[in-house]
Amino acid sequence: MSNKKVHEDQKYIDGLVNNNSFIIQTIYDKFVPKVINYVKQNSGDEEYAQDVVQDTIITIYNQAIQKNLQLTCPFDAYFFLLCKRKWLNTLKKINNKEVTINEEVLSKDDDAAQFVFETSIFENKQNLFNQMFDQLGKACKDLLNATFKIKSMEEVAASLNVSYAYARKKKSLCIGQLTKMVQESPTFNQLNY
Amino acid sequence: MEEQDYILFEDYLSGNLDENATNAFETRLETDKAFKQSFSIYKDISAHLDHEIGNEEKTMDFRANLDSISHNYFSKLNAQQEEVNVKKSSGFYKFAIAASVVLLLGFFVFNQFSGDPSYSDFANYDQISLTVRGDNDALLKEAETAFNTKNYEEAELLFNQILEEDSSNTEIQLYKSITLIETNQFSEAYELLKGISEGNSIYKNKAMWYLALSKLKQGNFEACKNILKSIPKDAKDYKQAQKLLNKLD
Repeated sequence: MSNKKVHEDQKYIDGLVNNNSFIIQTIYDKFVPKVINYVKQNSGDEEYAQDVVQDTIITIYNQAIQKNLQLTCPFDAYFFLLCKRKWLNTLKKINNKEVTINEEVLSKDDDAAQFVFETSIFENKQNLFNQMFDQLGKACKDLLNATFKIKSMEEVAASLNVSYAYARKKKSLCIGQLTKMVQESPTFNQLNY
Repeated sequence: MEEQDYILFEDYLSGNLDENATNAFETRLETDKAFKQSFSIYKDISAHLDHEIGNEEKTMDFRANLDSISHNYFSKLNAQQEEVNVKKSSGFYKFAIAASVVLLLGFFVFNQFSGDPSYSDFANYDQISLTVRGDNDALLKEAETAFNTKNYEEAELLFNQILEEDSSNTEIQLYKSITLIETNQFSEAYELLKGISEGNSIYKNKAMWYLALSKLKQGNFEACKNILKSIPKDAKDYKQAQKLLNKLD
């Protein structure tokens, strides 16, 4: 999709990345009422809608920063479909039964559906990565926390009192271990690798 | 993948390979599917950790800002709805018509569905006991008395004072949420109870039950039912939850 023209609504994505209060407020004023209606009409209430909206915005924020999200479709469609999907999944969890998600959400006919699909995959990955990171041994966790916080490997090595070469090697092996855990997880095939 | 491969991934990502090695690496990516898959995952995890750990503070600022905008938006929305309700019923005639309709409706509804459960049928809060013998904490004692005498507004204030000192006290949070439901501060009650029900304390299931009662009090039977269904069998309030569910169905 990289050859398509970026949509003017990219301003909403950029606004989220820059933590621009005015843009966030505009998203609420313009796009949230539709979500509230949808949730209310489908066995939810305003409080549920509030959570669905907030979670969805955080996912978009994360994806925009990590994957440099460039929207080629209107924000309205993208945002609404994401919220709708999230609400249906929440309902599924609450009721503990299957909810069929309408084809229109899954079909890849248009850009919006494609973006929704990619964001959902992104979200699944985030969840699995976090889950696996929690299961990692303490030594790896400490090293990775230090590595990504401090960024300079020399300083990391010094702070953990190990040699520079060891810290570098250990970093690759810890991420390697995470890679393996992800591949062996039962939900791996939902990640579209 | 072997240890060597992961070290190679890291060297490639950090730009530590010379030209020959880089070319060899990229050729392998094109020809070796398993190698390519592992590399994609490795790269995604690196980006993920870089964001989660490296941008932790930035993300926290963003969440806090989002939280406050969201909170304001939804409280305003509630306030507007209440205003609309008040406006609708202004004017004597409108009021008189509305009142007679309500009366009539009430009559029929009462006759047909007199089994609709009400909040007060189920909201039987036990007496609480916060102080241990010999314990002289006046504040706890005062809060306990206010709560037990159903003086919920005062109890809320006192619980707030206790929580200022001891904000993670789940038991007090739980009692505070009851005072919020009793005084119709539903969204605050929701926030608090949701937090407890998602945590790991012994009050987890209790919080779900109160969450359901709060929905019942607001007349939101669907949401109430959904919550009731998620109360597990081993919960103390399971029986009550089932009873309420039956009445709602």
